[in-house]
Amino acid sequence: MTVDLLSVENFLCELAINKIGPIIKNKSGTQKTYDMKTGSRRVDIVTEIDKQVEKLIWDSLKSKYPNFKFIGEESYVKGVTKITNDPTFIVDPIDGTTNFVHDFPFSCTSMGLTIDKEPVVGVVYNPHLDLLVSASKGNGVRINGESFDYSTKITSMGSLTLNKSVIALQPGSQREGANFQTKMATSENLLAVDGGFVHGFRNLGSSAMSLVYTAIGYLDGYWDGGCYSWDVCAGWCILKETGGIVVGANPGEWEIGVDNRSYLAVRGCSNVGEQIEYIEKFWGCVKGTLNYD
Amino acid sequence: MSFTNNELKEIEIFVVNLLRDKVGPIIKSETGITSQQYIDKTNAVDLVTKYDKQVEAIIKDTIKDKFGDKFNFIGEEEYIPGKTKISNNPTFILDPIDGTTNFIHGFPYSCCSLGLAIDGHPVVGVVYNPHLNQLFHASRGNGAFLNNQRINATSRRLTLQKSLIGLEAGSERSTEPDSNFNKKMTTYKNLLSEDGGFIHGYRSFGSAAMNICHTAIGVLDAYWEGGCWAWDVCAGWCILEETGGRIVGGNPGEWDVPINGRCYLAIRGGCGKNEQDKFTKDFWDQVDGKLQYSE
Repeated sequence: MTVDLLSVENFLCELAINKIGPIIKNKSGTQKTYDMKTGSRRVDIVTEIDKQVEKLIWDSLKSKYPNFKFIGEESYVKGVTKITNDPTFIVDPIDGTTNFVHDFPFSCTSMGLTIDKEPVVGVVYNPHLDLLVSASKGNGVRINGESFDYSTKITSMGSLTLNKSVIALQPGSQREGANFQTKMATSENLLAVDGGFVHGFRNLGSSAMSLVYTAIGYLDGYWDGGCYSWDVCAGWCILKETGGIVVGANPGEWEIGVDNRSYLAVRGCSNVGEQIEYIEKFWGCVKGTLNYD
Repeated sequence: MSFTNNELKEIEIFVVNLLRDKVGPIIKSETGITSQQYIDKTNAVDLVTKYDKQVEAIIKDTIKDKFGDKFNFIGEEEYIPGKTKISNNPTFILDPIDGTTNFIHGFPYSCCSLGLAIDGHPVVGVVYNPHLNQLFHASRGNGAFLNNQRINATSRRLTLQKSLIGLEAGSERSTEPDSNFNKKMTTYKNLLSEDGGFIHGYRSFGSAAMNICHTAIGVLDAYWEGGCWAWDVCAGWCILEETGGRIVGGNPGEWDVPINGRCYLAIRGGCGKNEQDKFTKDFWDQVDGKLQYSE
């Protein structure tokens, strides 16, 4: 099957701007009641709006692309839902749900398409900042519809080195156990004067926004664990189109799938050798191992 | 010297125009400079650029042109640790570019922060982020505004567990056993842990002034910091207070913190004083020891 990726990108952009964005913007901060996904994880939040928005996206995509598969955060069934080689929309209706509940302006919609399990279309729209970033394989990246000149941006950023970088880190909603300990110890080690000694870290509370900010050169890297394919699929495609790369969060994981659950995303740079060196140095700061079912 | 609320409003408008017209364009056009163009201030992650100095000079000159010697002036770039003192005289307190690391990296959270303190207390505050075109401004008794729209804190409950809190690592990164860095990291872990504060989450955007303004508009419930200076907090402090929010000390028991206390907990409005007090005590319970900074 040949798919016109640019037309899929455009369709998703229209959907994001005209239908999804206004809902996220209007409903942000209005959800007084929200469910906790599991009893013990009282900080893993889902709202009624997430479910409504996912259904809206699903219905729109099904009528336009009836033969494509669909994986969404709200309809995902653990252990059952699998990503196949078929064209598959992978969607997070509202990424950054905690931001959404608190009206912190970093919730967004994140819609990607994989073919042969590779992210080939990605659209992320943050209606609070009115920032639409989109890409499709081989077609480059657009910011609010305008072509993004990433090579000029990358050149202006100079060399990529760990101790001069700003990276995104997030603790996530799992707040006990080995993964939480690994995350905290690694964050500390990346910051410490005798560790990575990075310029700084940022915590945006949205994986999709962290990947997008890495792609457009605001951040140098993003390390996380516990996310799902819908958190990263769209951003992954966008990042890759700017010469960036996504590898595993644990040392040595050079080849990973979109459903790997833990990730290290690194921006593009003029010299690919720098990227490899950056990843190896970063991995050298990881304390412990991230493991997810 | 005392000022009426109308006089403070006039000063607020003067500062708004200055930041919007003369400073914003510089910060916006020069952000994202290459790594050769900054210098390490106290260590390899405490950074300053020539633009910090340029902006500070423009502001200082413009204030002098307008007001002569009526006001004292303290700016980040001219400050001498241990020497520069904040007196009770009306004093403009300036951070020319707050979020210098953001400015260098092109991360859109650098801003200019200019406040006026009288008797050591902030009475005018203006924070301008030209990347997001967000201009926060306030003066004592006159309310707080975002881009000329009045900020009204929505009334809602404030509890530690359901809060979203601004936290920053800062530039002091020594891992000595009793270091501030270690205490901060342990405090973060306490706040996040399921058997600790178990807060909804924290956010780091690398700008103290923006964090306080985010608390003022209620998208953050609080912001905890150690290691920043009077110029990082002066403007935001006034804006926050005008929305019903408060600033107390970052260490347990410090209900009254001076503007140069260097360690702060900012709390949003939209709830009663009792709720703020309870939140503060619950927060302090998670603080590991006592952060220590010199003036």
